[in-house]
Amino acid sequence: MKKPDFSKLKDLDVKKAAKDFVYGKPHGERRLGDLYIPKTGLYKHREWRGIKDTMYYFNNIWLYNYGMIVRDIMVYGGGPKGLIQFLKGTWRYRWMGQTYLTVMHWFDRCLEGMRGETLAASAWHFRGIVSACLYQITGWFNRDITIGGDPELRAKTIGTDETVWGGVIYPYMDQGGYYLPTQMIPYFVTCHCNNHTVLNYIDAVQAYGLPGDPCPMCQAEAGLYIEDDIPDSYVAMVTTNEACDSSVGTSVIQDWMMNKPLFAMPQVMQFDDDSVLENCAKEIEMAWRFIEEQTGMEFHWDELVKHIKLQNQQNQFEREKWDVAANTHSYPINGVAQALYRIFYSQYGERPFWHEMDAKVRKIMEKCVNEDINTFPMTRHRVIAWSCAPLYYSAWCTWAYNCWGLNTIINMDSLMFDLDIRTDTYENCLLDIAKYHEWAPMRRMAVGGLQHIFELWENMEKFNCDMVMMYDQLQCKGMQGVVGLFEDEFRARNIHAIWMPHALPDKRTVPRAEIRRIINDYMSTVMGEEPLDPSLLDFDDSDSW
Amino acid sequence: MVKKIIKRTLGVAALAYAGLFCVFYFDLDGKLLYYVVEPFMKNHFDNMERRDPHTVPYEMIDTEYMGKKN
Amino acid sequence: MRDLKHLIYFEDLLQEANNELVRKGKEDGNLCLGYTCYFMPEVLLDLPGCFSVRLRAPKCTSPDMASYYMSGRTCHYGRSLLERALEGGFNFIDAQLATETCTVTCRFQEHLDYMDGVINNATFKTEFTDVPFKKNANSIDHYRKQLQIHVLDFLNREFGVDTSDEAILKAIEINNEVNDVVRAIGDFRKLDNPPITGYEFSVINLVSMVCPKYLIIDKLKETLEELKTREPDDKPGYKIKVLLAGSENDDPDFIKLIESCGALVVADRHCYGSLEARQHINIEEGDDPLTAVAKHYLLTSQCARFMEQQEMRHRKKVIADYAKEYQADGIIVESNKFCEYWSFERMIDTIVLPRDFGYPVCSIEKEYINTASGQLRTRFQAFVESVELKKIQEGK
Repeated sequence: MKKPDFSKLKDLDVKKAAKDFVYGKPHGERRLGDLYIPKTGLYKHREWRGIKDTMYYFNNIWLYNYGMIVRDIMVYGGGPKGLIQFLKGTWRYRWMGQTYLTVMHWFDRCLEGMRGETLAASAWHFRGIVSACLYQITGWFNRDITIGGDPELRAKTIGTDETVWGGVIYPYMDQGGYYLPTQMIPYFVTCHCNNHTVLNYIDAVQAYGLPGDPCPMCQAEAGLYIEDDIPDSYVAMVTTNEACDSSVGTSVIQDWMMNKPLFAMPQVMQFDDDSVLENCAKEIEMAWRFIEEQTGMEFHWDELVKHIKLQNQQNQFEREKWDVAANTHSYPINGVAQALYRIFYSQYGERPFWHEMDAKVRKIMEKCVNEDINTFPMTRHRVIAWSCAPLYYSAWCTWAYNCWGLNTIINMDSLMFDLDIRTDTYENCLLDIAKYHEWAPMRRMAVGGLQHIFELWENMEKFNCDMVMMYDQLQCKGMQGVVGLFEDEFRARNIHAIWMPHALPDKRTVPRAEIRRIINDYMSTVMGEEPLDPSLLDFDDSDSW
Repeated sequence: MVKKIIKRTLGVAALAYAGLFCVFYFDLDGKLLYYVVEPFMKNHFDNMERRDPHTVPYEMIDTEYMGKKN
Repeated sequence: MRDLKHLIYFEDLLQEANNELVRKGKEDGNLCLGYTCYFMPEVLLDLPGCFSVRLRAPKCTSPDMASYYMSGRTCHYGRSLLERALEGGFNFIDAQLATETCTVTCRFQEHLDYMDGVINNATFKTEFTDVPFKKNANSIDHYRKQLQIHVLDFLNREFGVDTSDEAILKAIEINNEVNDVVRAIGDFRKLDNPPITGYEFSVINLVSMVCPKYLIIDKLKETLEELKTREPDDKPGYKIKVLLAGSENDDPDFIKLIESCGALVVADRHCYGSLEARQHINIEEGDDPLTAVAKHYLLTSQCARFMEQQEMRHRKKVIADYAKEYQADGIIVESNKFCEYWSFERMIDTIVLPRDFGYPVCSIEKEYINTASGQLRTRFQAFVESVELKKIQEGK
């Protein structure tokens, strides 16, 4: 038997070890990369963040969220029957059964290295996202008639394309009206949580004859339908053209594979032109008439106003957060939590759980500002992330902060929906709703007009950023169509920009290790900097979630 | 007697709490999911019988959308 | 068959965008207005004192400069147009009437707008029109309004073009003359043994889109007369007849390639094809000329971007109906690499057209200029053989 090696103990600085145990290691000494089991992304053990933060993570994040997941299933699912439906759905649909069980690892990846208020506020954002997911998952399964769901609930449920804003159902919510964005849960969030599943859907649609070059996000969406993995939970569908040509293509698949009444609510392309708003407004009104015809519900103006006012409150709080992010060092939300939370609630629409989370985050943020807490003390560069992000590596911002001190302050998708919708008159409200739709995700500043894509410069200034993480979605025709102009502008403006190639949900095209390598190369060769945590430079997470 | 029950309950709770902490700290939940649950579920879904998409009808309609009341 | 009298002349006109007749049109003092998409009504760019040119980039096989600006992962057509612009090949256009009807051509046109001096022409301007995705009354109103603001008002304001109803009527008249002649030429393809090849027709159709109409109409009419007496070969030089459907194709050599494999292309239901583009523009009672134009271009189009449930389904039947009308034995569905609309549409057509309408389909992906003809040739030859075999088995 090999004798234990006690020689290292001789060099042990007991005082330092005790301090590290109590407070956690300082940033430069953490060696977070050593915690991984090669390939898997699993941890040999989870990070020790000091007594206070480790116990916070264990009690208030890990235990709490596991518990709240069960609670959400019961509450949103409507009791034991909901639980049974949930289990049936888990067994029937790959996107649930193979994906969402790994949710706590999603927290882990995104919250690595976070401490104190930053850990807490970011985790609350994730709690909000998980709650919203469960609200929808139980919504899907309770209505799915193929697994014994309730046909009456289904009769008041509208399925929608990815970028139809959830507000379309606001006027009917008091009558049981329900909105199911058909790709958000079965596909979009899965990529963040566990990117293994989505590859099945991409492969399925390519096996069916689709070339490999259209937007992989749309490929995955189409694959869900081809694989018969969209539950039969809605009575009719509202689709849209946003954000790009491929989204139009997926509408044909949605129609064909589901064979339900489908209303197209396309949005205009030239959305800066005020003369187009009327057209959009009429299409939205027609969509409402369609919903009424299909579900038998009536349009309730007061209900619409109620939800829009609540949504405006969310947007106003978002602006407060931006103000703190832009002008102080006390913004307690990390890049990935900020980005995912913002796009999720803006697109899904107003619901009670968002307000609950906002209240908690407000409290933490106010404390940070009042006490002048430096929430990301190792920040070397303030980064703005632009264009569409890699879904399979949304946690890159956490890695980039831990490894290089790159602090992602804001990202493009978060800025898209910056609009308070007027409720003074029906006409004004409708026009603003039209505008909100026109600014759909990935549309306004990604595949929209050049002038909006180049809003990057003013936002860099507004958020006091000195560096750009330029997402390079290899299959986004809109963004690929302007790469040269960006290069020219970066040079002319003398801006440090790192191009981050990726393929939205498909990690096989550009692996995460490749993304890290590109950032590492830029930081060491162009910026001439040393990593804060060298163990994070290179590690193998090729088969991880 | 009551004291004993409370003591035992607290003891069990403490043990459970410590056990859960071990699960958390050593990422045992992740390992279980990665090595056991996910492969099992993947196998289940890979072998699930599915509708052949080629057989899904694509009927012509004569109104803007199916079942539109003109 | 004996050669068409003007074919070589027509072919020469397609060798460059700034061709002989375009130069003549400009020398005559006309404004030259560029466009790319069917949804920019060419008739409105043919108002008195103007002529339209649908942009092409013939022989552009390697768009290197454009690939810097638009990467190598966008549609070759859009990149080729930008390449030609960067080379100075579009300096002759006085304005670009743009549409955002597919992403990459939109980006190309945005480059024209954004990059100083890319079009070396002091008068040059780019103006965008929004085009709806549906064909309902709301869409027609919207489209009409857009055409008024972004085409008519723009041309009047910037160039003093007469955009009165009378002027539009005149332009409709000129366009209809061309439409009717080209359509009549195309109708010969419906015959059992057509006296015109798909390649020849493609050249004629393209010429009508890229030259001032008043300068080309006579030769088109002469060609129509010539075809009335043109005798097809007793033994046809093809084995099967096909309809070509799909995304952008302004390369007659692509059709020549198909025909060299034994498949006569008798119908062209693709972007830059004639089946929609060369229909007669009718003015319904009560409609003003601009409304008639808006209706015509919206309602005749079978573009894969239309989204109403009925339209998404119906356009498969339209292809099958055309195939029947033109006596096609099979259908070739093509999409340009990186064309997203047609990537999806082609996948669906490849399944639905044989299954529901009984037409064999050859589904291919191509480049704007097809240098990889060997691979395509093999595909077409195999398709021709399979359809021929099917015909033999059916005793046809």
